[in-house]
Amino acid sequence: MADDRRFHGVPLRFIYTPHPVAGMPPSVLRGYIEGKDPATQRTVIEEVIEAITKPVSEDEFTGDFAPISRTGVRQTLLEPDTEDNLQRLFYERGWIDGLPIILPTEERVAEMLTGTNRAADEVVAEIFLHDTQEYLTFTVEMVAIIGVMAGARPEHLPVLLAVASTGHPSIPGSTTPFACMLLVNGPIRNEIEMNSGIGAFSPRNLANSVIGRAWTLLTINWGYMRLRKQFWTSQGNPIGYNNMCVAENEERSAWEPFHVQKKFRPEESVVSLFRGWSFVNNVVGSSHRSVGNDMLLQLSALPGLFSAATLILDPLVARHLKENEGFRTKLDFCRWISENFKMPAGQFWGTDLIHMMMAPLADQGVEPYASWKKLPPDALIAPYDKPENINIVVVGGETSPMWKVADFAYAVSAPVDKWRAKPVTDGCTDGTCGLPDEP
Amino acid sequence: MATLLRSAVLNPEGYRTVRAAGGNAPSKPPSFSSLAPRLDSLNGKTIYLVDTGFGGSGKFLDQVQAWFAERMPSVKTVRRRKTGNIFRDDTKDLWAEIKENGQAAILGVAG
Repeated sequence: MADDRRFHGVPLRFIYTPHPVAGMPPSVLRGYIEGKDPATQRTVIEEVIEAITKPVSEDEFTGDFAPISRTGVRQTLLEPDTEDNLQRLFYERGWIDGLPIILPTEERVAEMLTGTNRAADEVVAEIFLHDTQEYLTFTVEMVAIIGVMAGARPEHLPVLLAVASTGHPSIPGSTTPFACMLLVNGPIRNEIEMNSGIGAFSPRNLANSVIGRAWTLLTINWGYMRLRKQFWTSQGNPIGYNNMCVAENEERSAWEPFHVQKKFRPEESVVSLFRGWSFVNNVVGSSHRSVGNDMLLQLSALPGLFSAATLILDPLVARHLKENEGFRTKLDFCRWISENFKMPAGQFWGTDLIHMMMAPLADQGVEPYASWKKLPPDALIAPYDKPENINIVVVGGETSPMWKVADFAYAVSAPVDKWRAKPVTDGCTDGTCGLPDEP
Repeated sequence: MATLLRSAVLNPEGYRTVRAAGGNAPSKPPSFSSLAPRLDSLNGKTIYLVDTGFGGSGKFLDQVQAWFAERMPSVKTVRRRKTGNIFRDDTKDLWAEIKENGQAAILGVAG
């Protein structure tokens, strides 16, 4: 908090209470007020009163805004040691997820770098570390190192570089159990033998496993997993081991691929990242209700934050919706969800996440939220009011008409082709052909 | 006996650099004279308790308000929620109201 104050140049007096505050009963909060500031061991309420009444001295904030003189220092090569000791070193330094890794030797990293035509020292991403006020520079070589550690092969590297280029962490700093999904579209899915079919989300396929893991190893080495610095999630989320890394089953899908929806061309290879917290599985099928009505029930367990949801459908389900229920496109079905999902206003506003993130919109008069806020608690609203924020992805092996309903929001897509070892021959060598025009 | 790896092993960490002192912070410390003068006493003063909207902030400030009512009843407290999303800029209305009607403000962050 103090670092954030300095970063934004705000001279404020901060007082700390014990943590957490959210969700704690009144008696505990009252105890915080009358108890000790963990940073100073002084009584919180006395510090509060002092902050308002004690004159500000001329040099009170001077130290906060003093120039920082740290410069980049990095030991490129580790001291020689045994395999076991180096495995332990990587774990103890907090560089890995707790599972054994492939040690990134010079030879292995050099071999990994054959997977791209980019220079090893090209900068792929810059990550800002709020707690230390540092910019972390990540090069192609560093992504290759991470790829080796995760067990990836050179042909996976362009996908890893595309993920890294977004700068999006798979486990964002939060007390909440964030979860992410990594989707790959386009020809590279099959070239690197990703699984989009039977058991695609299960631990069975090399490419899905190592690419998903590599995103988390990137995240760790971007500094997002330092305990009580960026990493605060109280329970965590097992999705973070692999980040639901999967390819879309474009060949068996009844609808256009996800990346084409995002204005890329079908022949481009693209990674797309999603972020949320939870998903609900459909378990058997839907013979007593329509598929849509089953999904509406499952969505009622999710918050509906900014109208975001992601529906992951087996090809059987997508085909059924198109051929038997008349939804010609993914967006057609999203519009049906948007119009037919209803939730009591009291349930919507009573969700802390909604109260925190969306109540300000209502208070500022933004519609429809302002009108929803005035309704009685049992009045029904349609919180998925933006069908374009509902995503549909087709994944599965057609052994059963299954689906998953997630609260994931679409975050970003990034082209893969520009990171390949050999340019693609369709004239789209920089990988940006399908990107929307700048506004 | 364990043998050393034949090949050197690379460090996976990134290059850490500070591009500009204090990131977005001003190149000079904020002016001391620009800060609001502190109150000599809270007696009879109006203090705004501003909920940022982050988890638990409002409930915490409810307790702060209750504490003042019990222990320092001469202090008038006014509860408000910051008008903008916790992660976004505000409209200026609330800050203008505090400047007009209050003598101090306490912001609850929480989490």
